[in-house]
Amino acid sequence: MSAGPYNYSYIFKYIIIGDMGVGKSCLLHQFTEKKFMADCPHTIGVEFGTRIIEVSGQKIKLQIWDTAGQERFRAVTRSYYRGAAGALMVYDITRRSTYNHLSSWLTDTRNLTNPSTVIFLIGNKCDLEGQRDVTYEEASKFAEENGLMFVEASAKTGDNVEEAFLETAKKIYQSIQDGRLDLNAAESGVQHKPSQPGGRPGTAAGGDQPGRDNCAC
Amino acid sequence: MADVLSETVLPDDLKKFEKIYHEQLYKNDVTPKAQFEYAWCLVRSKYPADIQKGIILLEELYKTHEEGQRDYLYYLAIGSARLKEYSKAMNYVRSFLTIEPGNQQVLSLQQTIKKKMEKEGLVGMAMAGGVVLAVGAIVGVGMAIANKAK
Ligand SMILES: Nc1nc2c(ncn2[C@@H]2O[C@H](COP(=O)(O)OP(=O)(O)O)[C@@H](O)[C@H]2O)c(=O)[nH]1
Ligand SMILES: [Mg+2]
Repeated sequence: MSAGPYNYSYIFKYIIIGDMGVGKSCLLHQFTEKKFMADCPHTIGVEFGTRIIEVSGQKIKLQIWDTAGQERFRAVTRSYYRGAAGALMVYDITRRSTYNHLSSWLTDTRNLTNPSTVIFLIGNKCDLEGQRDVTYEEASKFAEENGLMFVEASAKTGDNVEEAFLETAKKIYQSIQDGRLDLNAAESGVQHKPSQPGGRPGTAAGGDQPGRDNCAC
Repeated sequence: MADVLSETVLPDDLKKFEKIYHEQLYKNDVTPKAQFEYAWCLVRSKYPADIQKGIILLEELYKTHEEGQRDYLYYLAIGSARLKEYSKAMNYVRSFLTIEPGNQQVLSLQQTIKKKMEKEGLVGMAMAGGVVLAVGAIVGVGMAIANKAK
């Protein structure tokens, strides 16, 4: 592993938000470690994870802040929203209340991030089809009405987990290419790392990206 | 702003929670919530004096408010590590892990602290130095947390 000073060209900041128990920490863990934590204790405040991914041949480091959903943490966790380039907003398809609270999470996100922040809605625990409490169609409509990307996923099986994180990054990257996202703005949530001299730009032989495919739920 | 030990609080946020805390203090009616929120911001400050103050507030909460003990322990570890009081930080982490072994968030904090120590060339030292201090104080509380964890 030759980790140069920067073996990536961008840093994107993400936040993961949503009610307690919807599976935010498990999604993060599945994405960074490719493992499911069956017995996950409640998050304290905020948790942090990273992974380097590749979008259009560019290495991008994702810095992900996973917030605790409990009310007692909410006031302070709000300060982590600032400067997020991507927000993964999670509900649990087996618990309707977590879906009903989405509008409040969305309001917070819209108020505290900037217009270019990509918001991705995740209906988690889609492995529990038998206990489903929110239909795909309903959530899909909600996402469309609010201009959100949307997928149902499972942190347990890994279904669509990669996809949610990667699609968010693609959308952010696209905004940079289109000039919609101003890299110099203090709170864009994106940092550009000039590639190092003597580095290996454009090599596809990346270290830690298995590039798994995902099936639909 | 690369990890839980290096990200810092925004001055405006610190001020906001400081104000709430002080208003309650003035009325002699500080809620654990306000004290925790203020302390949580303080231990993420750039200034060691703030971090120190945050630690004092957390220690007080730890003794008086059983319900939030795992939260307080976690942020005591972060505050201590940010002050480079690594043996203390590691003790907080260890006592947390005796109660909730395998807690990923705390294991990952432990890794982050170790990395920071390695960077500063301090690994052997703190390992040898620490262990004695906090343990006694923490064992008593351990039972309380054991009941809370899940
Ligand atoms: N069946 C199933 N359980 C899940 C899934 N994701 C998380 N869980 C469980 O749901 C609980 C809460 O998960 P956690 O990640 O701690 O939720 P958080 O509070 O949003 O971070 C844990 O017991 C997990 O094991 C999933 O995709 N499928
Ligand atoms: Mg969590």
